[in-house]
Amino acid sequence: MTIALHQLRRRGADRVYPVLSAFLALLAWELLARAFAHTYLIAGPVEISRYLWDHAGLVARAAGITTLAAALGFVLGNLIAIALAVGAVLLPSLARLISALALVVFCLPLVATGPILRVIWGPGLGPQITLAALAVYYTTFLPLMVGLRAAPPSWFDLVRSYGRGRLSALVEVRAMASLPYLFAGLQIAAPAAFLGAMFGEFTGAERGMGVLTIRAMRSLDVAGTWALASTAAAISMLAYGGLGRLSRALNTGPPPLILAPLLDGGRRAGWRALVHPLVVTLVLIAIWWLSMEGAGLSPFFAKRPGDVWAFLITAPEAAAHRATLGAALLETLVLALPGYLLGLALGLGLAIVLVLAPKLARGIMPVAVALRAIPIVITAPLIVVALGRGATGTVTIVALMIFFPSLVACYQGLARTPRQVLDLFDSYAASPLRRMASAQFPAMLPAFFAAARMAVPAAILAATTAEWLATGRGIGGLMALTASTSGYGMLWSAVVVLAAVAVTGYVIVAQIERAVLRIYGAEQLTR
Amino acid sequence: MTSNSISRRGFLATGAGGILAATLGARPALAATEVAMQLSWLPSVQFGGSYIAQSRGYWRDLGLRVSLNPGGPNAPVEPPVVAGSALMGISAADYTAAAVAQGAPFRIIAVAMQKNPFVIASLPDKPVNTPKDLEGRKLGMALANTPVLKALCSLNDVDFDAIEIVPTQYDAAPLLAGQVDCLLCWETDLPVAMMMRGLKPVTMLMADYGYAVQSQTYIATEDSIANRRADLIALLRGEIHGWNDYHADPDAAAALTVKMFPDAGLDLETQKLQAARQVPLMFTDATEAHGFGWFSDDSIAANIKTLALLGQNVSADLWDRSLLEEIHAS
Amino acid sequence: MQADAPPSIQCHDLSRSFGEGAARLDALEPVNLQFAAGETTAIVGPSGCGKSTLLRLIAGLDTPSTGSVRIGGETPLQMRKRAALSVAFQDAALLPWRTVRGNIALARKLARLPPDPAGVDRLIALVGLAGFQDRRPADLSGGMRQRTAIARCLISDPRVLLLDEPFGAVDELTRARLNHELPALWQGRGVTTLLVTHSVSEAVMLSDRVIVLSPRPARVVADIAIDLARPRAPGDAADALIAKVTSALAQSAPTRPHFV
Repeated sequence: MTIALHQLRRRGADRVYPVLSAFLALLAWELLARAFAHTYLIAGPVEISRYLWDHAGLVARAAGITTLAAALGFVLGNLIAIALAVGAVLLPSLARLISALALVVFCLPLVATGPILRVIWGPGLGPQITLAALAVYYTTFLPLMVGLRAAPPSWFDLVRSYGRGRLSALVEVRAMASLPYLFAGLQIAAPAAFLGAMFGEFTGAERGMGVLTIRAMRSLDVAGTWALASTAAAISMLAYGGLGRLSRALNTGPPPLILAPLLDGGRRAGWRALVHPLVVTLVLIAIWWLSMEGAGLSPFFAKRPGDVWAFLITAPEAAAHRATLGAALLETLVLALPGYLLGLALGLGLAIVLVLAPKLARGIMPVAVALRAIPIVITAPLIVVALGRGATGTVTIVALMIFFPSLVACYQGLARTPRQVLDLFDSYAASPLRRMASAQFPAMLPAFFAAARMAVPAAILAATTAEWLATGRGIGGLMALTASTSGYGMLWSAVVVLAAVAVTGYVIVAQIERAVLRIYGAEQLTR
Repeated sequence: MTSNSISRRGFLATGAGGILAATLGARPALAATEVAMQLSWLPSVQFGGSYIAQSRGYWRDLGLRVSLNPGGPNAPVEPPVVAGSALMGISAADYTAAAVAQGAPFRIIAVAMQKNPFVIASLPDKPVNTPKDLEGRKLGMALANTPVLKALCSLNDVDFDAIEIVPTQYDAAPLLAGQVDCLLCWETDLPVAMMMRGLKPVTMLMADYGYAVQSQTYIATEDSIANRRADLIALLRGEIHGWNDYHADPDAAAALTVKMFPDAGLDLETQKLQAARQVPLMFTDATEAHGFGWFSDDSIAANIKTLALLGQNVSADLWDRSLLEEIHAS
Repeated sequence: MQADAPPSIQCHDLSRSFGEGAARLDALEPVNLQFAAGETTAIVGPSGCGKSTLLRLIAGLDTPSTGSVRIGGETPLQMRKRAALSVAFQDAALLPWRTVRGNIALARKLARLPPDPAGVDRLIALVGLAGFQDRRPADLSGGMRQRTAIARCLISDPRVLLLDEPFGAVDELTRARLNHELPALWQGRGVTTLLVTHSVSEAVMLSDRVIVLSPRPARVVADIAIDLARPRAPGDAADALIAKVTSALAQSAPTRPHFV
């Protein structure tokens, strides 16, 4: 009886904490908005509600069209992700190539791909849908690659013991075993799809949330800007929560630890380690060239691999081009790297604090998930306005973009410490700190590194978007400028260099991960 | 999703219904030629004349069915014209010059904004009335526009290094928050936004201080000028007709724009103010004498000079007035 | 297929090693073994000696480094292809999203046999799981899971049954009961059975023959016939054989007393 009462009270608390923290957040927001009303920077919940009331039809129509594009892109991107992951599992010899290509395509900056897609698609929803698909497919592909392999060997032996092959294993074992991973990916994908669709509208659209946002920001419509941001966040959160609910309804189990496959197997012979990047590069160049030629795109704006090579290497002005590009890249990296490290550290730090103080977690986690859902298109300019256009603003944006996914991943990782291990520590009456340092922290490391790898492209996206929309500096600013002044040679070169940097960063993190896990958790490497 | 929230073009472009729409919709349109014009920004009264031409059927009467493709902050303007998916585009002399330098076979065939819309906007308590006033001030602008400011300085003998440039996004908030003393922006957008909030911004039009860069220029490829001349002329004719109507009643143009784009978040009063403020930029003595879109040899010479200050060396070959001459001769 | 007689199994020079050079690890030294048709043979040995490796090689789930396996003249793959072989795994290998019924029915599907709901329910009753048909593995005890796995093995009516520590994860009492109840299910069906276990008493109670393997790399150190009548019950005769096997095991690994 007392146990039941205790549980009841606990369940009550579970419900009260999020409500209470949401209320406090709203209150703080309103007070802040009133204090800074004269600055045209921030609007509070009251003003936002009034705007939404007055413009309900307009916002609803815009949200409808952007949500439609986002949903179509979401479906398309996730189908592609599933196809790629299934292909990689059915054809293991191609798995590394598929993974590498998927990563590179994901690293292509939206600033540059958007206009190209608009030219290919012409007017309409094409670029919105494509950009939404591009924004989601990788965050689904990666966990799915893990999920499709996340089954004990005996399940596959069972299938083989009846003389059945990969296809049966896929249908009977992998498909269901991967569902929790798929849903974890889909949840992350939902806000990303909305972001992609809004970016798509920037390439030329007559309606949608992106169109209204630009309009509101330029016409000093602070209430409008914040109302649109809130609506976008609300839609993203609804999708996030809805997918979580669906996942629970399908009984796919708790959100799994996302352990992405390491890019480098590490046991390869020396020459193969060298050949692989070469093969990937050659395949990429071939795809690039063929898609440009296949679509019959004019070389004026659709540069081929040879054009970029000439622009950066053989042209008389190549040295000057490289200098410009290098300086811009450096300017970006100098801000992106601290933001990246800061975001990871904050995510990790807060996750640890939340595990040590679980009551706090019940209040903070829902807010963290909510903030994670706000598209960067809206947060970037707001943060820059609030924190200034210097280094602080950009670093903060990058850190913020990385902070939330890292927090969620680390928190889930910490929660996944095996019960028996925790019991062992409890039986020695070890302090929570001791338990954290010796049991939970090592158990969380794989999740942390998975987040750290995924954060590399995210950091570059955040930094270049901030530069494009707000500061006008760095390689993001350079891409925006060259896109508007027909400097397509520079634009494509920037895309190539950025993609290469993102992939390099990803590989470096994967190497660090390998080295650390070798010490802390060897079993993760062989799984 | 109601059917009117997805335009037919939008539906076409998603591909799913493309074939269906094409087979169903092509028949009655056999008489009209399909052409597209690529606009340079989101829908607003900035393109009011085009919307009038569209809604009053000026192009239809000339045998054209025109799609007005919207622009945006990340929209390609020149590429669709090069690719041929748009017959004509709305660019600006400096952007056109840059594209030509990159190998695009463009000509400027008409000019909507005779005067460049760039202004230095400031607040009355610390106004910038002449370029000299910029010295010692904090100027908020996109870094990409540095060459523009340099050109203005050298045209007016202003010490460029005495201006403190603060990189900002395109937003009036930094000026109102006191982070900068003045902004580099367009006459027709941020000052309008400030006025709509009851402020009285001071604007100094750079075109009045020698900054001669035609804006909202109509561009077409050399190939189109040679081979699709009739279509281009019809397109320009309708455009001129529309803009003449606009000149007669800018408020009506603003109202039409708001009505045509109910989902674009346009405010009627803002559009009216913007419509009024762009009239003096588009309609000058030259257009009075020769018609909308005209550009004189003097204007070309001045543009070549300013473009040189921007680091772009162009010749008069960038311009092709023959279509306008043909239109206005008849 | 049901009419087929159980096949005999021949292992010829069968060995398995992992890795190469200095890192090479021999799991199984070349062995020559025969298993008579319809007999139940238990393979015992210390932990990690390669018992499971031998079973996997016979099932064709692993490729031998040398030698070959023939089951009634066929390769393991051919046997598997016509679903004449079933394996019960150490961890039961039940799919968590399928019910007891679903897990058992899966074997018929994988074996390309027509669905047989009545047969499934009959087997569920036989293994004592009536009333639990629609439970998922997570709701079952260890013993129930193992019984589900045994039922799954039998639903395809195999000629060869390979059991890899099928009761490894079950407590001693349940295990004794399963040892008593389950063999009746397959004995008399005409099945050649191999049972890997580390429990000597289980080996003696269930099989016609016990093969004792040495620590890694495994080789055969004893081959003991179990000529006890069925059904078996603990008694002096069984105890004597248990002692015999135990001593063979002890001699096989004199310095490492980690056998059961």
